[in-house]
Amino acid sequence: MTRITSPAPPAPGPSRTVRSVLAFSVIGALVWILSIFLAPMLAARGSSGAAALIYGLFSPTCHQMPERCFTVDGHPLAVCGRCLGVYSGFLAGLLAYPAVRGMRALRLPSARAFILFSLPIAVDGAAGVLGLWKSPIGARFATGFAWGTILPFYFVTGIADLVLSRKNGTRRGPPFGPKEGIESGEAKGIE
Amino acid sequence: MDQRQPEYLTPALMAGAVAGILSGIPFVNCLCCLWIIGGGAVAAHLLAQRTGGPLTGGDGAIVGALTGIVAAVVEALVGIPLRAFNREFVQRLMERMGQFADDMPAGWESWLDQGPGASVGLFLLGLFLSAAIFAALGALGGIIGASFSRRRSAPPPPPAAG
Repeated sequence: MTRITSPAPPAPGPSRTVRSVLAFSVIGALVWILSIFLAPMLAARGSSGAAALIYGLFSPTCHQMPERCFTVDGHPLAVCGRCLGVYSGFLAGLLAYPAVRGMRALRLPSARAFILFSLPIAVDGAAGVLGLWKSPIGARFATGFAWGTILPFYFVTGIADLVLSRKNGTRRGPPFGPKEGIESGEAKGIE
Repeated sequence: MDQRQPEYLTPALMAGAVAGILSGIPFVNCLCCLWIIGGGAVAAHLLAQRTGGPLTGGDGAIVGALTGIVAAVVEALVGIPLRAFNREFVQRLMERMGQFADDMPAGWESWLDQGPGASVGLFLLGLFLSAAIFAALGALGGIIGASFSRRRSAPPPPPAAG
């Protein structure tokens, strides 16, 4: 009697993992950005203890200078305009990720793309530190937003690679470029 | 495919210490989270130099997250002696807290005077939250650093047949 054994199910590809990492990242970014707006709203409504807690939560990551912050109800947001731009850009990048990168391949952006997206914040930030000019908050937000949009393409790819390597108990190959990707997909998007 | 796990701790300690010090020094810390992201990138670069081989995005995430945790601890420690010199920050915080004075518990003014050492629980809670945030930022920097280190290193050998 021949025993028929079914073949082992194939290991799950990156698609499901990328989707999960993306979902968690979107939720986290939404909570993070809403908290930034929640602090001044709470302060304006008299919930000062909670507002102070949120301001304190963001203080290690931002200088929180009031003159560099957007205001809501007369109170500054919990982070400066540039940081808000970075976080908003991060969320925008997360939302654009499926359309730009797809879910099947783990590939990082090219160095050229990173430099291109980083150039505005680097130039504006350096000029501010050197005292060459003082940008308005809107310009700070815009340069931060531009830089923030490229970051999820690193974050999601790297975390998904980490999760996959832990699942499989191996170190995965470096996901750089379509030829070296974990699972080659159609090369498109930010290259 | 390389199955060895690289040694993450030393690069994380080195880069995290520098990033934590820079994040904790008044005026230098105006670059916000960039010190932590940069620290994660440097740690990945150091790791790539030590291993002499390609880093995966996961490697960068691990070493970057460790860097962020180290930076959070160092920043907290640096902040204790520097707190007295950081008058501008304390002044801003006092002004902001003053807006909520009516709703704050009695004796809240003394929190700032006594520093984080006055309340170990508050200090540890802040340290825990900072470590979690810095770990995420450091992981991001580590992944970016891993990608750049990978591009500079030699191409990986072809997989063994069979």
